[in-house]
Amino acid sequence: MNEVLLHLNSMGNNLASWLSIFGGLGLKKALSDPDSIIPLIQDAGLRGLGGSGFPACKKWQFVADQQANPDKYLICNGNEDEPGTFKDAYLLAETPHQIIEGALIAAVANQINKIVFYINPEQTKSLDNIRSAVEQWQQNDLFAQVEKVLDKPLSIRVMESSGHYIGGEETAAIESVEGNFPFPRGKPPFPAVSGVHGCPTLINNVETLANVSHILRNGAKWYQDLGRGESTGTKIYCLSGDVLNPGVYELPMGTPLSELIYTYGGGMLLGKKLKAVFTGGASSSILTPKDLDVPLDFDSVRERGSSLGTGAMIVVSEGTGIVKRVTEYVNFYAHSSCGQCPPCKTGTFYISQLLNKIDTGQASTVDLESLVELCKILPGSGRCHLLDGAIKIVDSSLHHFIDEYKSSLKA
Amino acid sequence: MSSKANNNGISYQQALETYLNKNEFPAAELSIDETSLLEEFHPDHRQETIETLQVGPNKGERCHTQIARFLQADSRIDAADLAGARIQKTDVLVIGGGGAGCAAALTAAESGAKVILATKLRLGDSNTVMAEGGIQASIEKGDTPQAHYNDTYKAGHKKGKKELIKKLVMDGPETIRWLIQQGMQFDLNKFGDLLTRKAGGTSANRVVYFRDYTGLEMMRSLREAVVNNSDIDVWDYSPAVELLSNESGHCAGAIISKLQNGRYVQIKARAVIIATGGIGRVHLNQFPTSNHFGATGDGLVLAYRLGAKLRDLDSFQYHPTGVAYPQHLSGTLITEGLRSSGAYMINALGERFVDELKPRDIVAAAIIRECREGRGVGEGCVEGVWLDTAGLEARNPGILKQRFPKLVQLGLKSQIDITKTPMLIYPTLHYQNGGVVIDENGLSSVPGLYCVGEVSGGIHGRNRLMGNALLEIISFGRRAGGIAAAQRKNRGHKQISIDHISNLRRELMQHGMPMTTKSPILFPEYAQYDATTEKVNNFGVCDL
Repeated sequence: MNEVLLHLNSMGNNLASWLSIFGGLGLKKALSDPDSIIPLIQDAGLRGLGGSGFPACKKWQFVADQQANPDKYLICNGNEDEPGTFKDAYLLAETPHQIIEGALIAAVANQINKIVFYINPEQTKSLDNIRSAVEQWQQNDLFAQVEKVLDKPLSIRVMESSGHYIGGEETAAIESVEGNFPFPRGKPPFPAVSGVHGCPTLINNVETLANVSHILRNGAKWYQDLGRGESTGTKIYCLSGDVLNPGVYELPMGTPLSELIYTYGGGMLLGKKLKAVFTGGASSSILTPKDLDVPLDFDSVRERGSSLGTGAMIVVSEGTGIVKRVTEYVNFYAHSSCGQCPPCKTGTFYISQLLNKIDTGQASTVDLESLVELCKILPGSGRCHLLDGAIKIVDSSLHHFIDEYKSSLKA
Repeated sequence: MSSKANNNGISYQQALETYLNKNEFPAAELSIDETSLLEEFHPDHRQETIETLQVGPNKGERCHTQIARFLQADSRIDAADLAGARIQKTDVLVIGGGGAGCAAALTAAESGAKVILATKLRLGDSNTVMAEGGIQASIEKGDTPQAHYNDTYKAGHKKGKKELIKKLVMDGPETIRWLIQQGMQFDLNKFGDLLTRKAGGTSANRVVYFRDYTGLEMMRSLREAVVNNSDIDVWDYSPAVELLSNESGHCAGAIISKLQNGRYVQIKARAVIIATGGIGRVHLNQFPTSNHFGATGDGLVLAYRLGAKLRDLDSFQYHPTGVAYPQHLSGTLITEGLRSSGAYMINALGERFVDELKPRDIVAAAIIRECREGRGVGEGCVEGVWLDTAGLEARNPGILKQRFPKLVQLGLKSQIDITKTPMLIYPTLHYQNGGVVIDENGLSSVPGLYCVGEVSGGIHGRNRLMGNALLEIISFGRRAGGIAAAQRKNRGHKQISIDHISNLRRELMQHGMPMTTKSPILFPEYAQYDATTEKVNNFGVCDL
């Protein structure tokens, strides 16, 4: 395996040993020529690894083009709360230095003077390790050099997010950093223009920032070559569900689904047949056995009508009920809805009620029909994507597994 | 039983003739080394039946092979089986309808909880009803809980958990009072005081009793109390096939299989009390058992899967005198009182071979030695030595009818006149000494999961005293019931699932376990009609 982020050298919470291996080189290169950073990131083809797959360089360019007002913010998004996703927690806890170095490079590239590490409060180990790692950086000479290049004091804040799922949404994170409840905002204005307290704000996922120092150190070509086919770099996949060896796997971007499950995951539990895969931590359509050959990169998965999302792959085998799994996810969404938009607040609640009724064998045909109807009228009526995510999964499970729904109905 | 049956013994008829032709039975030469006798012949010490567990909380510890097979087996159910399964909520779920389950359910209901009591067969189908001797409690003048403690600890080869024994003996007198309140009768003297008698291995008269069917009387009163309690919902024919866990791995209920309609029901409970009893019907080492039909160790398996620690999985009590012939009654218990009254044990050569009043494990090992070395009766499926009822009757005319009416009844059922013919006996698998590790309220190492009665371990160490089992089931049943009822004030579990089963399957596969067995088995293997013909024959009755 071509591990970069999860390479043994990237592990550990000691800054001195990180700098002694190959840490710091990327930051030094960035400091020597701040203007070359964004073109380099563009050449490398780094994309937003938190789920959007949006090219990182474009986001960075937007922020770099803005005037500080009076500050510029970077939010390192580690709110991670989706079912089946556990990569950020692992990265933050085990490899804090590559993330911080990436954040410092982003600060240099975009003249950012306020960095916020925004971390789920349940991940106490991540919080502890990032806090101590940040302290080590602040006492290091490199930190002073960054401030010198910025010509401003640089503040780093490690904050606990509210712990709500919705707090991971970009604009909700901004509200959270401002000290408010994480209600998502409407867009535009985009965060790059007006984010935290009206200042231009760059928001990147933990995994995205973790890649930055390696790209600067090894060059764009190196990063491009890591991926398979057209894709660049690596991706951390969170494999869970009915496989023999669940866990985090860093593999070349574009590794086929079958390889992830059968080579790295050790195959299906009890050798059963694959029934479905929930990708991206449930907020996208279900993949079925005919999609086993799909290369796991943003574009290929999108072509199959799903999305790669966070890289979570929840595998479901024959013998596991789809209705139950879907019900669990929708319960999660209903619980996570911030309640701001009425269609989402009541919609997720009613869908969850209906699914629970079906799952426990108390529902009739009328209930199933209502569920189908709701899936048609609800999408697009929320401010953020929570409602759409919930509907998408129900809708695609209805599409593929309608017989299973029917067999759960009351006779 | 069967596969152990050998033909190296002497035939039934020939042995009977040898016995009838003799009229003097001098005591056995007693120069045996007890330790080596146990090591060589006691079934617990058969190294080929001990293996090391590879999966689960007791990984790396010793365990009987047949139990290991169930502990490391696949689950009976898949997540898909729960599609459309009803969810029922309750405060406390009690699994098991014996004495411990009833005591727990009654106490939980008294404390204000709504209780579901699910039992595999019918309420009261249990080993509790088999208990003959009585129940221990230090109520006599001159007796103390301390003495009770000392006896219990010593009998358990000093392996018992001291805190548990302390609670057990201190609860003794109060337990008897509670049982009387529930309507249980005891034998009384003419002043209305409780009569007591002495159990083997104890220092005082400490056993209170009702005739020679104390357990049956106990079950009768508890059963009535449970049936008449409107806060307890009794589900007959409803074995638990798996526990449910919440998102933190705590116990959150159980999946019940309704035998009468073949459906699963998920019971979501704030606390679960397992009182499923022992494992006799697994017939460890192919031994017959005194246990009732449902004693298949389901509770051990369920608790182990959810991560509860077990202990002493290689320690069992074999009662020396179980019926060996006629074979359809094999395993049926013959009370120790017979030997206390002076009945001899005689091998097929017409010789006594052991001091009959030694502890149970020694006597059982001696019987096995006689049979294995060719001095026992051994023909076809039948194997054993004589328990000399005829000689006892000859020396004390009338004693059998007067003091052992239940035994005479057993003789009638066997079509043997026990006043003239000795009974053929062989050790019978009687009690599981170990079990789920618990604290003094019956709480296992898994939050929300309580285990009481024979399924739990630690009180009796590696050997149990007569009368302590009945005390344990009531004392710890009530303790667990009270604490479990207090959980009803907690917020309920958010999610219930069988995710712990996936983890189990993963671990089993990674250790290369054969996934062919499914457990809990619920019914003895010979009662599972889809079993292969070979298996059925193996356990079938055969005639002489």
